[in-house]
Amino acid sequence: MEETIAIPTPGRRPWRRHLNKLRWLVLTLVFAMLLLLPMISLYQTYVAAHGYDLLSPAQQRFYDFMEMLTSPFTSDPEKGLDAIKGTTWSGRFFGLQLSDPLAVLGQIAAGFTLYWPFVLSALIPVAATLLLGRIYCGWICPATFLYELNSNVAALLRRAGLNFGRKRLDRRFKYLVLFLGLVLSAVFGSVWVALIYPPAIIGRELYYAIALNGFGVGAVFFVLTLLFDILVARRGFCRYLCPGGALYSLLGRYRLLRIRRDVRNCNDCVKCNAICEFGLNPMRDDFGQECNNCSACIAACPTDALSFGIAIRDLPNQGDGHLGPRYRRQRAAGKEAS
Amino acid sequence: MSSEMNRRRFVAAALKTAATVLLASGLPAAKTLARGVIRYRMRFLRPPGALKESDFVARCIRCGRCAEVCPNRCIRYFDLENGLEATGTPYIIPREQACILCMKCGQACPTGAIQPLQHQLEDVLAGVKMGHARVEKQLCLSYQGQTCGVCYRACPLQGIAMRVGRLEQPHVLDGCVGCGLCERSCIQMPQAIRIIPAHG
Repeated sequence: MEETIAIPTPGRRPWRRHLNKLRWLVLTLVFAMLLLLPMISLYQTYVAAHGYDLLSPAQQRFYDFMEMLTSPFTSDPEKGLDAIKGTTWSGRFFGLQLSDPLAVLGQIAAGFTLYWPFVLSALIPVAATLLLGRIYCGWICPATFLYELNSNVAALLRRAGLNFGRKRLDRRFKYLVLFLGLVLSAVFGSVWVALIYPPAIIGRELYYAIALNGFGVGAVFFVLTLLFDILVARRGFCRYLCPGGALYSLLGRYRLLRIRRDVRNCNDCVKCNAICEFGLNPMRDDFGQECNNCSACIAACPTDALSFGIAIRDLPNQGDGHLGPRYRRQRAAGKEAS
Repeated sequence: MSSEMNRRRFVAAALKTAATVLLASGLPAAKTLARGVIRYRMRFLRPPGALKESDFVARCIRCGRCAEVCPNRCIRYFDLENGLEATGTPYIIPREQACILCMKCGQACPTGAIQPLQHQLEDVLAGVKMGHARVEKQLCLSYQGQTCGVCYRACPLQGIAMRVGRLEQPHVLDGCVGCGLCERSCIQMPQAIRIIPAHG
């Protein structure tokens, strides 16, 4: 049977190429909310105190700014700004309680008890991860926002000739971190996974910095992880150490939404492998449970060979891309022979 | 091959034994060690309705939502100053900013580390025990002959938590829940009334 080689027609690129931009929009919005929520909280306490005249000039300027920002939406900031509270670690989103599955797991490990209202608040995130994989890591996590920017910094440094951060460690190391975090939480009866999980740290520390009295020890830890990513391994914390990433990977192992390669359109250009923050191998169909469906490879693919599909497993290695030089050479050789 | 098998079996057995020992005897020992060294370095209160200390630390996920809703800005978070175990957990220093018993933190708490209570007298009396006020008579103005009574005026549970005698001398009653408004309001320096924390 003669195979048809689909040549992508210029000017008719599929819309999925823009998903990565949408993802960046979502990441930016989540991060902006984490900045805005402590400010709203602070503003609400000022309103509740009914003491505008007692505020310092800087606080009054802040009050005026927040009033300007929120007055189009509500005339009663004390009650009207309660729609979203908390962080991505645990929060209330329009009446819906949502928590990170790692928070629930850590708490169960620390106290050996189930508090059902809390356990149920992780139901939607768990269901979403079972179906869609590690989308939290790629699309929501406030640490991802900073880590990906940090990756760009590392790329700039590399371009300037400072060539470090090329190490590859064992991806399975993060499952050990998750396991040890839970064991230590159980031994000391204290939710220690919360102290080493970057999104939880960021939510907390931003709140401390904006509404309380400055950054705490978590910020130091986070800066260390940024340095680790630059100096040791690209995106190293997420790839090799994050306990939440480990949990999401396990939950998303048999996800339905997967990125797949159309071997007929692939030209073996390796752009997908280069862009992949998790060091995966999309060009040879190797995604596995680590893939967070971030769609960066889809956006990078010049021939639109990558797309989202619904399946419970990845395709096995399909071999050379049909637009690639090696496949074409072999094909030409085969035709000559026959 | 058999020596390899033997070694493997030995390693497995050793790991199993180590785990058993850790769980059976090491666990309580490690807990005591960690807690004995790091707890109660400072006098602090937990938010109103908090569980007793060991349960509280096991339940609290360090989400920061209690302070976010606190209208009085009295809830702060531990950094490392009170030990790794308490890092990120909420506390109140009543002399700096005391609790007004609005009970919003308990309703915001997703994990029940702070029990959800209503802003009602019965709920507060039944569910809140942050501490107990104690008067230092040598420091108290009223006990030194100068009528003061500021702590009584600040008390949200007058007649239940505190009554005043001659010269407005404060007497703390059993109903005191330890909100700390008396300590916050005391005009003496250092304060003549302070909360003795009750987190067990």
